[in-house]
Amino acid sequence: MFGRHTTKNENEFMAQDAHIQLKDLTKSYKEGDKSRSVLDELNLSVEEGEMIVLLGRSGSGKSTLLNLVSGIDKPDSGEVSIGGTDLSDMNEKDRTLFRRKHIGFVFQSFNLIPTLTALENVLLPLKLKGETDGDIIEKAQRYLDEVELGDRGDSYPDRLSGGEQQRVAIARALAHEPMLILADEPTGNLDYETGRTILDMLNSLVRQNGRTMIIATHDQDICQIADRVVELKGGKLHNVEHSAAAVE
Amino acid sequence: MRDKKSKNLLWLSSIRFLLRHPWHFALSILGVALGVSVVVSIDLSNNSAKKAFALSTEAVTGKATHQIKGAAENLDEDVYIKLRIEGKIRKSAPVVKGYGRISGMNKTFQILGVDPLAEAPFRDFASQQSGIELGDFITGKNTGLIAQPVAEQLQLSLGDTMIVSVGGRAQNILLSGVIKAGNDRSRRALENILLVDISTAQRMFNMQGQLSRIDLILPDRREEALLSRIKGLLPQGTLITRSDSRSETVAQMSRAFEFNLQALSMLALLVGMFLIYNTMTFSVVQRRQLIGRLRALGTTKNEILTIILKEALLIGFLGTLLGIIAGIFMAQGLVKLVTQSINDLYFVLSVQELSIGLFPLAKAAVLGIGATIIAAFWPAREASKAEVSTVLRRSSNESKITRRLLPLAGYGLIIGLVGGTLLLIPNGGIAAGYISLLFMIVGFSMMIPLLIVGMATVFRPLMGKLNGIIGKMSVRGVVTELSRTSVAIAALVVAVAATVGVGVMVDSFRGTVVSWLEAQLQADVYVQPPSAVSRKADAKLEPKLVELLKETEGVSRWHTVRSVDVQTNYGTDQLVAIEQGVEAQETYQLKESLENFWQRYMVEDIVMVSEAYAYRHNVSLGDSLFITTDRGRQAFTIEAINFDYASDIGTITMHRDIYKQYFDDRAISGLALYAMDGMSVDRLVERLRNRAQGQQEVFIRSNKGLREASIAIFDRTFTVTIVLRMLAIIVAFIGILSALMALQLERSRELAVLRANGMTPGQLWNYVISQTGIMGIMAGILSVPLGILMAYILVYVINLRSFGWTLQFMIDPQVLLQAVGLAIVAALLAGLYPSRKMAQANPADALRND
Repeated sequence: MFGRHTTKNENEFMAQDAHIQLKDLTKSYKEGDKSRSVLDELNLSVEEGEMIVLLGRSGSGKSTLLNLVSGIDKPDSGEVSIGGTDLSDMNEKDRTLFRRKHIGFVFQSFNLIPTLTALENVLLPLKLKGETDGDIIEKAQRYLDEVELGDRGDSYPDRLSGGEQQRVAIARALAHEPMLILADEPTGNLDYETGRTILDMLNSLVRQNGRTMIIATHDQDICQIADRVVELKGGKLHNVEHSAAAVE
Repeated sequence: MRDKKSKNLLWLSSIRFLLRHPWHFALSILGVALGVSVVVSIDLSNNSAKKAFALSTEAVTGKATHQIKGAAENLDEDVYIKLRIEGKIRKSAPVVKGYGRISGMNKTFQILGVDPLAEAPFRDFASQQSGIELGDFITGKNTGLIAQPVAEQLQLSLGDTMIVSVGGRAQNILLSGVIKAGNDRSRRALENILLVDISTAQRMFNMQGQLSRIDLILPDRREEALLSRIKGLLPQGTLITRSDSRSETVAQMSRAFEFNLQALSMLALLVGMFLIYNTMTFSVVQRRQLIGRLRALGTTKNEILTIILKEALLIGFLGTLLGIIAGIFMAQGLVKLVTQSINDLYFVLSVQELSIGLFPLAKAAVLGIGATIIAAFWPAREASKAEVSTVLRRSSNESKITRRLLPLAGYGLIIGLVGGTLLLIPNGGIAAGYISLLFMIVGFSMMIPLLIVGMATVFRPLMGKLNGIIGKMSVRGVVTELSRTSVAIAALVVAVAATVGVGVMVDSFRGTVVSWLEAQLQADVYVQPPSAVSRKADAKLEPKLVELLKETEGVSRWHTVRSVDVQTNYGTDQLVAIEQGVEAQETYQLKESLENFWQRYMVEDIVMVSEAYAYRHNVSLGDSLFITTDRGRQAFTIEAINFDYASDIGTITMHRDIYKQYFDDRAISGLALYAMDGMSVDRLVERLRNRAQGQQEVFIRSNKGLREASIAIFDRTFTVTIVLRMLAIIVAFIGILSALMALQLERSRELAVLRANGMTPGQLWNYVISQTGIMGIMAGILSVPLGILMAYILVYVINLRSFGWTLQFMIDPQVLLQAVGLAIVAALLAGLYPSRKMAQANPADALRND
């Protein structure tokens, strides 16, 4: 399952009918008078159900890339197509509406809403998506059960440990059944053991639900769950052949 | 239950946020409540006074449609007889009216002298039908009726004697019955009335053979015909008016006063709005992270905007509710002050109770909630507009405001200048004055961030010397958190400046009046009968007493003053006739005059009007004024305009010789006496008082005594303003407290980091207090120029446009020091709780809590 990676040049990331397609993405930031290029005509295609690990040093542009994929930010040029929808043409509001329907987030610092209980946090994307079925609470509860926090639904985030908060965040990212899950350093704030548990949970739940996922990290350990590993360097993506040695 | 709760998670999250910050939540509500309560209390007390006035007018005027009045004060009673016999006007009733006090009760009564036989169509309570025993009432002795509750309060029963003081003379009146009111409304109005027989009233007011007015009921369809028949019977100079025009005149008189009070209450609301803006901005800044997370999860900008505005609505609603309740309580106290001012300035009024109308409450609700929404709109929009990617980082907002400092200040300057330009609109009215004030406040506030940065560069080395590294850090903290601190400081500046503005205005007013009094009071001793309305000398001195006092040993010379209400082409006005010759120019300070006014005013038909009068009626030198005299309507030319701060209605002054030519009135309202050289004024006063013993009760006061009494009246009429200033100070104080306390409590994490890095609780205390203290000093300093600007507009624009008075601008350094002190004390107090809390707390808890 983990062993189908081969080295390709960047053009080979492209596939016309890919589920997620990034084409010639360019993004730069202004720093005073100077402009710093973060992404430079970057290309990537991701198949449905594929799990991509995005490696890169701090400041290499991983978060920028995730922001562009999620529609939080807009590229200077290039295309972001998700499930056939081009985000780069959309206005801010439409991108937001797209995001809440089709994208789930797992952040490094969990980013739970402190004023909502664990269950309500999981419920939030369902409510935002506009699901009105009577069973959305059961649905949220089911996802909370999946991350083994079924009995902590009434707890507020500040009553949960870091690992527990991240499990709530995973349940939240999956609850509204998005097309794509974006995880930004999901284990970065956790100890090794907890990190492993979280990763296993994320891996099995995403695969079980058949979701596509991009995980940005600088932790090589995470590569072991990936279908494909790419590294962001100099504003472009490079394929990485990951071996068991790298993992261990 | 759970399903219902989860219906709107965003709203739920918002509510929980507010409940988790109870201090902040409570203080925001308090900010709205304070503003609203001031508006409500002013409105209610004004309305109560107005309603009480309408009720008593209604009760006293009864069903009369028209009134006949004399040219000067009174009307010959023959006119009435002629009207009834020759004119066959059956629905007519004679009235003698005046004011007096019943001993044992600390209020002025309206004494109404009527003929019960003629009263039936007019006033139910004064007619035979209401059960007045004619035999007891018209006995030839002095008998009278008062309302039942008043009799109970005075513990009087039928047949007892009341001592009634009228114009300084005590008279015995036998209580022959009680006034029976038809309903509750009129009962309240009648509690202010002493009803006597017409001949009793004539004796009481020394008006034998005279009436105050004749009331008429003229049926609509025959009005014209009857009016012309009546006019044919009236002597020259007599006036017939619709009975509603009198109340209109009084209403007009008090409109400026009322408007000024309302304007001051709006100023309090404006300060309240700044507090709301501050708390809402703060509440948004506090939640930037949370908002960023919600946006990342797919909450749209509009959803964020809506939720913040909904919060504002909740705060506005709760604050308004609380403000209305507090306003009703405050109005109970304020109504007494307002009544006092109205009594001093315009007419005798006794407000028995607060009337709580629906309109003032609805207005307060709209203002309170509306102001909150408006104040919250910008922060809400700012929150919704923030880019998600920047919101997820912390310091982006700080760098943004630093970049915008100069443009912000530039816009501020432009807005301020627009405000200044508005003042140039000729006759822009009071509203333009207030709009301009608003523009200047907003403009100045926008320059505050830049000014803070500028001040910090001066303060930093200074604090470094005084308080070492902690001193430097505390100044630096104000600048690094500029997006939060500048809003807090701006709110404080506006709140404190309002107290400076009103303070300087009152001081300027008082100073002007004091120096005017110095000039005005040239004589050594002044004799006046006690008057029901302090600023209106309508009572008369008895001729016998005047003679007695004039001939007192030690008096070198004297002059008299007569003050009456007359009808002019502008309505009812106060006319003063003075006896002084050219030397009057020492007493009266003229704003402008035509040549040789003082030489000519004794012989020509020319008058001097006060500045307020000229402003109110928009008249100037050379204009004609038509006065209805006993010789008919007569034109007088305005040839001088004088400064006069005794009346905001304005007065017309003419020489007594001219007055004598046109009016039959020979009465004297006041007497001014000069002491002989070497005679001590105090000894003369004592001698005069001895001479006056057993005569009419009058005030004999030295120049100094009268000046003090006048200033006391001035101070009393300004009590309302001073109370409002106190309220503004309280609003400001709470604002400072809330803004700074919230700011510090919010920094608990940062402070925990400092503690973790080895800062002792004592140093932490020092750090927090230094920082709030610096913010207090900055706010205090910045409030001075804005306060003076506000005072300038209040004095030279608002006051001038409300009353027509030119005031000298006077800045008492004490007011400024008070303002800076207020800001600093409040700021230091605000630092106490957070620093104590943080010094005691375990830093680990604060670091863990996110």
